[in-house]
Amino acid sequence: MIRHLFKLIWNRKRSNFLLITEIFFCFLVLFAVLSLIVYNVRNYNKPLGFKHENVWLLTMRPDTDSTALNRQTLEQILQRTKGFQEIESVSLTNSNAPFAFSQMTTNLTYGQKEIKTDQFEVQDDFAEVMQMQVSKGRWFGPADNGAHHKPIVISKALERQLFEGEDPIGKVLPRNDSSSYQVVGVVDHYRPSSEYTAEEPAFFNRIYLPENEDEFYGEILMRVKPGMGVEFEERMVKALSGIGKGWTMEVATLEKMRQNKEKVSKVPMIALAIICGFLILNVALGLFGVLWYNINRRNSEIGLRRAVGASSSQVYRQFIGEVLVLATFGLVLGVAFAIQFPLLQVFDVESTVYFIALGIAVGMIYLLAVGCAFYPSRQAAAIHPAIALHEE
Amino acid sequence: MLKNYLKIAWKVLLRRKFFTFISLFGISFTLMVLMVATSLMDHTFGPQMPERETDELLFVSMMREEHSEGYSSSGPASYYFLDRNVRTLQTPEQVSINSMFFQVNSYINNRKLALDIKYTDREFWDILDFEFLEGGAFGQQEVAGASRVAIINETTRNKYFGEGKAVGKTIEVDQVKYKVVGVVKDVPVLRLYSYADVWVPITLKSQDFNKPGYRGLYFATIKAQNPADIPNIKAEYAAMLHEIERQHPVKGTKLSSFPDTTLEGFARTLLGGGKKSGMGFLYVILAGLAFLFMLLPTINLVSINISRIMERSSEIGLRKAFGATSSNIIGQFIVENIFLTLLGGILGFALSAAVLKLINDSGVIVYANLGLNLRVFAWGLLLSLIFGLISGVYPAYRMSRLKAVEALKGGSK
Repeated sequence: MIRHLFKLIWNRKRSNFLLITEIFFCFLVLFAVLSLIVYNVRNYNKPLGFKHENVWLLTMRPDTDSTALNRQTLEQILQRTKGFQEIESVSLTNSNAPFAFSQMTTNLTYGQKEIKTDQFEVQDDFAEVMQMQVSKGRWFGPADNGAHHKPIVISKALERQLFEGEDPIGKVLPRNDSSSYQVVGVVDHYRPSSEYTAEEPAFFNRIYLPENEDEFYGEILMRVKPGMGVEFEERMVKALSGIGKGWTMEVATLEKMRQNKEKVSKVPMIALAIICGFLILNVALGLFGVLWYNINRRNSEIGLRRAVGASSSQVYRQFIGEVLVLATFGLVLGVAFAIQFPLLQVFDVESTVYFIALGIAVGMIYLLAVGCAFYPSRQAAAIHPAIALHEE
Repeated sequence: MLKNYLKIAWKVLLRRKFFTFISLFGISFTLMVLMVATSLMDHTFGPQMPERETDELLFVSMMREEHSEGYSSSGPASYYFLDRNVRTLQTPEQVSINSMFFQVNSYINNRKLALDIKYTDREFWDILDFEFLEGGAFGQQEVAGASRVAIINETTRNKYFGEGKAVGKTIEVDQVKYKVVGVVKDVPVLRLYSYADVWVPITLKSQDFNKPGYRGLYFATIKAQNPADIPNIKAEYAAMLHEIERQHPVKGTKLSSFPDTTLEGFARTLLGGGKKSGMGFLYVILAGLAFLFMLLPTINLVSINISRIMERSSEIGLRKAFGATSSNIIGQFIVENIFLTLLGGILGFALSAAVLKLINDSGVIVYANLGLNLRVFAWGLLLSLIFGLISGVYPAYRMSRLKAVEALKGGSK
């Protein structure tokens, strides 16, 4: 039976070839766009690991090169922000604050393993500012002043990759030739780059101003009381500008930064989805037209089948079946091509994403084929044998 | 002859309206997407306000410094480098040094305006063609004296001062008060080297002027005397850079920086790793993307066209019986198809005008003013013709091979 079917299709390969190629390319386009969407949606549904509402980011650019002078001013500014009633807690950070367009990575080694990880330099109050949940151990704090090793808090993603089941608390990791890190805590998640990006391994390094003497940090994260608006922002910037004379200061809410980041991920996704939707609609219309035309041309064949006793539902099923076989041919080719992505791991993406996209794409193509064949097949099934044969 | 073909084509289009609709829908949408993409390209890289004479303008936006120990850094160049080495070049007509734009805040009536500020010299205003709505550029005197004067764009004026005149009033940006001397039309953010909301004299940043080193926060905009001078400027620039490398106290330091057009700069940063040109690669990628995108609609159109051959078999049989050659028939069908795609092209043009308006109004791209112009129209026409040819050739070939006798009988396999 299958050999017979194959022979049938092979005999009409000329006329079916274009339809099969069309379905093949249509599947590939769908697969690519769906993979992207599934990837983003899956990421979106994972926890961020922090709460960004009511958090502001103050960015400062000094006007001189003297680190000593800038550090002095910075400490005064930090003191002043803590003095505001409206601000609950503050923490210095590097330029890779949540939803910023900046990244800092470094390598951590434990035993033989070396992992590339994001590094975030923050102060003790960062846990309070971003409302981080520490699941194991503790966040660093004043207790670590004068500790022999530099205390760090790692994310679960890093724990999994670096320690593979061992308890990470208290483990010592080399930092450079003369000093080491010691893990003091673990947070469940930290995904600051955007809601649509996958979670990368991360660790938090402690900023302790008396020790990092020649470092300058240009950004302050602050959690403000709910309902604080531009009025307070203006007052704060005026006060702080009085301390850092000539410095450029800029305040952004994390919510605003999140929206910017969202736009960067969403706009291409929407544009792609629209273009893909148009391509599919185009293919659907074309498929519908061609099927309609072909089936109309087979009036005499249908008349004959009806005359020798086939019921109209049998004719109906034959045409739907033919289209499904045709779609299967295109899909087999397409799946053989698409399956290479999870097998070869072309991009650094979980295989599940591809399989979900593959499943949806196959389903959609079958739906499309059946949908396009539905009306022409019903028309064919309604043909009256006497009329069809008479026309012939 | 051509008139006859077109007449027949028109009649055929009217005969089966559904098929005509499918074909036109596919063609016009495909061309619409391509035209929107072209318009976006033209908007970013083509001659637009304020960079109108694109064939005479070069931009120095990147400086890459590599040391023999493997340490490297890249980003905009320093004022020190540009002032001493680029401003002194012999071949260019004029050179302007301007800073990249920085985001700063301005507060008015309990509202916040996030503004992008750019520090420029006097030459910046001579080289570029800004459209002034009121007032004018600041002059040499204001730059030399580091006056607190500012030129703002239309949107900033409307947000800060309301609809009225702004020249002579004071705007407070980042806690500094500037006197407004001019208002210009909005510059789209895609014009990275000219864009800002507020432009102020570069001398207000004089603390940067004497910082040695090659990396900093500044761009140079170079204007050539005529387009033919561009290669000479590039050559002189390369020689100057080579000389600096030779005299560098640390041996093995490699500097890469190029005066590029906007498109070259884009290709170099994105595809050439900041060193190689990347233009060839960019063209290959663009052509590849356009081809991939046109592939599905083309296959679709081909398969519809082939279905429609059968409708016309008796006509073809008749023409062949009266002595038409295969090439006559191929010619006729291609003309018909090009007629159809041009029709679709016009529809696509109308559609893209609507989509561009939608993009402009949505504010996805800040101050975007995407539009259709002659260049975009010419590209659209070219694309329509290519599309018509590709999708017409194979069906025409199939059509021409029909045997006269079989065709007259009304069937073919």
